Amino acid sequence: MTAVILDGLVLGLQFGLLGVGMTLVYGLGGVLNLAHGQIAVFGAIVTSLAMTSGARAFWAALIGVAFAGLVGLLLDRTLMRPVYRREGEERVLLGLLLTLGVGFVIEGLLVWRYPIQQLSLNIGGSAVEILGVRMRTGSLLASVISVAVAVVLVLFFRYTSLGKAVRSVIQDEVGARLVGVNPNAVRSLIFFVSAALAGLVAVTRSMTSPILVTAGVNLTILALIVTVVGGLGSVSGAFLAGLLLGVVHTVSSFLIGSYITTIVLLAAAALTIVLRPAGLLGRPG
Amino acid sequence: MLEVDALSTGYLGEDVIHDIEFRVDDGEAVAIIGSNGAGKTTLFRALCGILPVSGGSIRFADREVTGLPTHRLARAGLAYVPAERHLFPQMTVGENLALGSYPERPDTRVLSMVWSLFPRLAERSRQQAGTMSGGEQQMLAVGRALMSKPRLLMLDEPTTGLAPKLAADAYTALGELRAQGLTLLVTEQQLPLALDLADRGYVLANGRFELEGTCAELEANPEVRRAYLGVA
Repeated sequence: MTAVILDGLVLGLQFGLLGVGMTLVYGLGGVLNLAHGQIAVFGAIVTSLAMTSGARAFWAALIGVAFAGLVGLLLDRTLMRPVYRREGEERVLLGLLLTLGVGFVIEGLLVWRYPIQQLSLNIGGSAVEILGVRMRTGSLLASVISVAVAVVLVLFFRYTSLGKAVRSVIQDEVGARLVGVNPNAVRSLIFFVSAALAGLVAVTRSMTSPILVTAGVNLTILALIVTVVGGLGSVSGAFLAGLLLGVVHTVSSFLIGSYITTIVLLAAAALTIVLRPAGLLGRPG
Repeated sequence: MLEVDALSTGYLGEDVIHDIEFRVDDGEAVAIIGSNGAGKTTLFRALCGILPVSGGSIRFADREVTGLPTHRLARAGLAYVPAERHLFPQMTVGENLALGSYPERPDTRVLSMVWSLFPRLAERSRQQAGTMSGGEQQMLAVGRALMSKPRLLMLDEPTTGLAPKLAADAYTALGELRAQGLTLLVTEQQLPLALDLADRGYVLANGRFELEGTCAELEANPEVRRAYLGVA
């Protein structure tokens, strides 16, 4: 059972990173990016193509993550502009519809051009023993990368002036503009970071199980669940929710079977919304 | 410092501010007086670029700035303290102040000036801004604006929601800033305080300036006395 929970935490870290990206973009601009998972898969497929054409895994992954980030940046600079010009409910709805469409387009193009492409990074080496549990090198590397990135993110938001500027826009956009922060630049940066994180999660996931060209919708739904359970706009909430849901995921697939797991995850999300409508660490209202 | 010419602005294509003209010279303190709904906040929002102008021009520090985005104006030295304050509620007092100087690093001399102007903020530097009282939040909003070393400080009804004692304290602090040579533009409904602070004033009603003059002239004006000072 310890092994299952440890696996859950490894998975949870990655869920967390997936959710953080979505929650940040939402917190900054009110856009719930429904193309998040498809952007992740795009990053994975670019990585896989780079490897097919001879790049070493590390460089291929870097290229894939960067391309995923660029898709996010492009989205922010083009399609999202009219969205940001609207206010309130209208902005949220238009954002949902546009990103939903973008998700379909990305997946459609990938399936059309590369129907059988998939990314699966086989990290060799023997299993390692941690806390009395044998861990595959792939999942160890995936968790090391995820923890490192999570720590960098937390430090960035807590201590750098740019990180504080991002938080200021989330907390009060008018206030941020009054102190000299350009919210558009902040949004572009975060859209890039968010999409790059999605690509990174696809890469680390592929170290334990292959990422297929059609995995996008599932990843988007996962990110949504994590974001909602953690509380829209809450970075620490997304990490916490990711870890919890990762454990719920592996425990339930261990006990009940993976087929039912998605239902269990959705039930966990529904339960959170009933008990705490603003999410675990979200602020009411 | 600030020259406004034939400025019109409003919401959804309907002007609230009509054809306003005024200036604030270097080192001056100017008050804009008006009752609720006269258009004071709308005027300020247009001056700092939050609200697009529908006509006219704004010059700040000898530069045409009409239509410039808010963050560029802020970096150019125009600091605006809105009545709703717009602090960062989940950040500490210290973090709010540090962001005031964005994108520069906080200047320690300015920071100690803010601490000595508002000792209360120094005591509470680690408290979350959102959990402070209205008076403390007002001090923080002014402190945050000062951190950018502004050339012009604009305050929209700095005494909104404050008890009379705190309102008087707020104006004492503004008086000190004035004495240090900072240029001030203040809107107010509470006349005696504003008129004591300022050199000149404008009376705003229905989006237009009805009167203007030195504070002494305004104080002596029977209209002003009746409408804003409660003197029959």
